[in-house]
Amino acid sequence: MNLETVLSIQRLTKNFGKLCAVNQLDLEVKRGQVFGMLGPNGSGKTTTLGMLMGVTHPTSGSFTWFGEKPSHLTRKKIGAVLEHPIFYPYLSGQKNLELNAMIKGADPNNIPKVLEMVELSSRKNDKYRTYSLGMKQRLAIASALVSDPIILILDEPTNGLDPMGIAEIRQIIKRIAADGKTIILASHLLDEVQKVCTHFAVLRKGKLMHSGPVDDVGKGEETVEVMAFHDDLSIYLQEFVGSASIKREDGLYQVMMKDGFHSQDLNKFLFENGIITSHLVTKKKSLEKQFLEILSEAH
Amino acid sequence: MSLLHLVKVDLKKMTSYRTFWVICGLYFVTLGFTTASGMEILKWIAGKFQDFGSEININRIPLYHFPDIWQNLIWVSGLFKIVLSIMVVISITNEYQYRTLRQNIIDGLSRWELMLSKILMNVLLSLMSVGMLLVIILFTGLIYTPDLAWADIVTGSEFLLAYFLEVFAFLSYALMLGMFVQRSGLTIVLLLLSNMIEAIIKLNVFRFGIENSFGWLKQFFPLESITNLVPLPFPRYAFQEIQDSVSMVAVLIAIGWAILFNYFSYLRLKKADI
Repeated sequence: MNLETVLSIQRLTKNFGKLCAVNQLDLEVKRGQVFGMLGPNGSGKTTTLGMLMGVTHPTSGSFTWFGEKPSHLTRKKIGAVLEHPIFYPYLSGQKNLELNAMIKGADPNNIPKVLEMVELSSRKNDKYRTYSLGMKQRLAIASALVSDPIILILDEPTNGLDPMGIAEIRQIIKRIAADGKTIILASHLLDEVQKVCTHFAVLRKGKLMHSGPVDDVGKGEETVEVMAFHDDLSIYLQEFVGSASIKREDGLYQVMMKDGFHSQDLNKFLFENGIITSHLVTKKKSLEKQFLEILSEAH
Repeated sequence: MSLLHLVKVDLKKMTSYRTFWVICGLYFVTLGFTTASGMEILKWIAGKFQDFGSEININRIPLYHFPDIWQNLIWVSGLFKIVLSIMVVISITNEYQYRTLRQNIIDGLSRWELMLSKILMNVLLSLMSVGMLLVIILFTGLIYTPDLAWADIVTGSEFLLAYFLEVFAFLSYALMLGMFVQRSGLTIVLLLLSNMIEAIIKLNVFRFGIENSFGWLKQFFPLESITNLVPLPFPRYAFQEIQDSVSMVAVLIAIGWAILFNYFSYLRLKKADI
């Protein structure tokens, strides 16, 4: 992977009166990452993105896009939708995109392509105000893509959508990510971030709580769920050198593994002792669990 | 971004907006009809008088004769600029209401470019008003003036420049009001009451007999300065003296205000989190 830095944030801070919305935030996003910004509502995600996109003035701190000082010219290279889709309600989808293309200095010939990508071609001549919420969200993604940007910023892109709409948007995001674009995705939906992101950061009350690859989430200790029709199963489980602790839950044994031991080691050990398991599941820590841990660590 | 491109951006926002066409249509149609049909109205009044047995010689009132026509028609046109200014208010308050101003900046317009696109739109609307009036004045003037002399046609044409400034300064004022208030209804009410509010302020500032020594300060008030560009011409037909040329001082004051209005608007846009 090319590790060129796309976005670098240094000690970015924003105060609204007494309220500190973003507090000394440091963050790096590298090319090709699908970067999830996680945090409960009101944790400063949108304020941070607003500063990155020039609509909110930082109180202090700085950031660079592509190693350059931010300006309206760097913004043209970024496709961004903050909070909710914003368009002229009396203009058609097509005309709205034409206007976006004019502002971004993009080739208007891209418009049919991006409309096709978000499956809005058949409704492009209808006025924006007649669109459903899902169509509005999709048009927003189309407008962000119209200049063929290097980086895409999406803020809660599935907010308020029905399950089908959510699935559609996820498909689109995955397709865009497969094209090698860098994506910053702000969301409070953990499952969404786990499904589409490669990296993530957790914000809480404007402070960065954690930042790292999504793949690391499942690493570390592992829990194995075991069941076998054997009277002395619990004794054998305790004898196994790799088990840190054993719990019985819902008729199944939950074996917390020591570092470096995995379910296959346990399986092998039991088999060698003549026990054949009827149930063996490796449970990795979900992002949700980790997220709640990170948030609770703070207080 | 080039100036032309910025004009195109704002035109793109407006040309598919029905309200824009309705208001601009009303403005140019009423402006055109009113200014072009004054002579017909005068004839109609004279006809009515004739029915009652009295005579008015309308040729004694050279409303549409060069050079009088310049100041006459331009003064009347000045009354209509309020309609155009309401369009400007709607155009900017819409951007706040829909939050498209925010999206424009996210998409890569600088705040200065955004400001410039709005200012250029005001220039364009002012130029269109001037162009329309020039055509009407030349047509009606050539039709109604009995003895055409080149010198008479040119005399008084400086009012056209004053008219441009009058419309542009007022539209700049409307734009500024819209950017500060941000809600269309309230802005329009304030716009309609502006002259009255200024009159009340003047009345309160200049009482207690300081009128005589400080009365000259009145011309520096923003709306008064815009009004002073084209003085009321009609008392001259009642044998009163009027100012029948553009005052340089009035022009300078109005230019000053036009610059300030746009500068305040820009400051507002620059400072705000939007």
